Amino acid sequence: MPTIASLIERALEGFATLAATAEPVDSEIQYVADLGTVWEARLRAVAEARGADEADPEVRDAIDALVAEAALIADPHRAIDWLSTLPQVALAALGEGT
Amino acid sequence: MRFADARPDGRSVVYAHIQTDPLVLRAAGLLADASPTQRLLARAVMNGMTEEPGVWRTMFPTLFGPGSPLPGDPARDRSEAILEVSLEVAGRGEQARSQYRGAIVEALTERLLAARTGPVRRERRILFDGRPAEIHPYDVTAEAGVRAEAWDCKWGARGIKADVIHQLDDARRGAIDEGEQLLVGLVVFDARRSCEVRLVRERGSVPLQSLRLIALESLDRLAGRRTS
Repeated sequence: MPTIASLIERALEGFATLAATAEPVDSEIQYVADLGTVWEARLRAVAEARGADEADPEVRDAIDALVAEAALIADPHRAIDWLSTLPQVALAALGEGT
Repeated sequence: MRFADARPDGRSVVYAHIQTDPLVLRAAGLLADASPTQRLLARAVMNGMTEEPGVWRTMFPTLFGPGSPLPGDPARDRSEAILEVSLEVAGRGEQARSQYRGAIVEALTERLLAARTGPVRRERRILFDGRPAEIHPYDVTAEAGVRAEAWDCKWGARGIKADVIHQLDDARRGAIDEGEQLLVGLVVFDARRSCEVRLVRERGSVPLQSLRLIALESLDRLAGRRTS
């Protein structure tokens, strides 16, 4: 059974993939970096609080599906939008508020 | 301070068709009584890649998973209906769906606001004596009562830009100059955390306390309801 911490690491990998896809949009480099700062902090706070807990299989499947969806996104502008969406969906799957 | 209809232009003629599309109205109706997680589902699907509903159900275990309401329960049925309508929006293609998403946020704002105050209008300009009128109309306004309201609606935090913030603040200050009150704000179909990041960067000299921010988690506040 995966732990909450390992699922959060998976979500952060998905986030990094989106950030790389968003890179060609020069005018939004700072915004992308800022999103990374605030959402990584939020997700790591959950890992700090519940990281050692085992995650239910449906939560693992949700994070897997979410990260797979992020990997499908090739358009940099859509990736920027998803940089905000992915952490929200991950937190919802983990039963956490944004 | 007075309100007036926006002058129709080419964009508004095209956009008017989308604003009255039954798909927009159906989506707004479902989202008006939705939970924050159901609204997040709509946000993800309408800008997602996957067209297979099963994948989205997997991604939202609190709506569709083992511990969630069973089919036939009103909450589950709403989740299914939101998934269906969101996939329909996503299926309109890249260009069109961005216009549909914007129109849905506006229609949703109109519905929620109408539950608290009225009359609620769309695409209105605000005119002040001795000041040139703003070119862009406000998306949604509430024009009666002690304090009128003007809202600009955005699909995502990235839509928060300096010119929008300044226009809203100019209107607020114009009202004060005429001895009136005008509540101005942004309704953003995105997380507050992302909106705040954007606002801090784009606000310039505009004091943040002068601008109301209604984000995805707190949309019910528009209707005067506590956030669920």
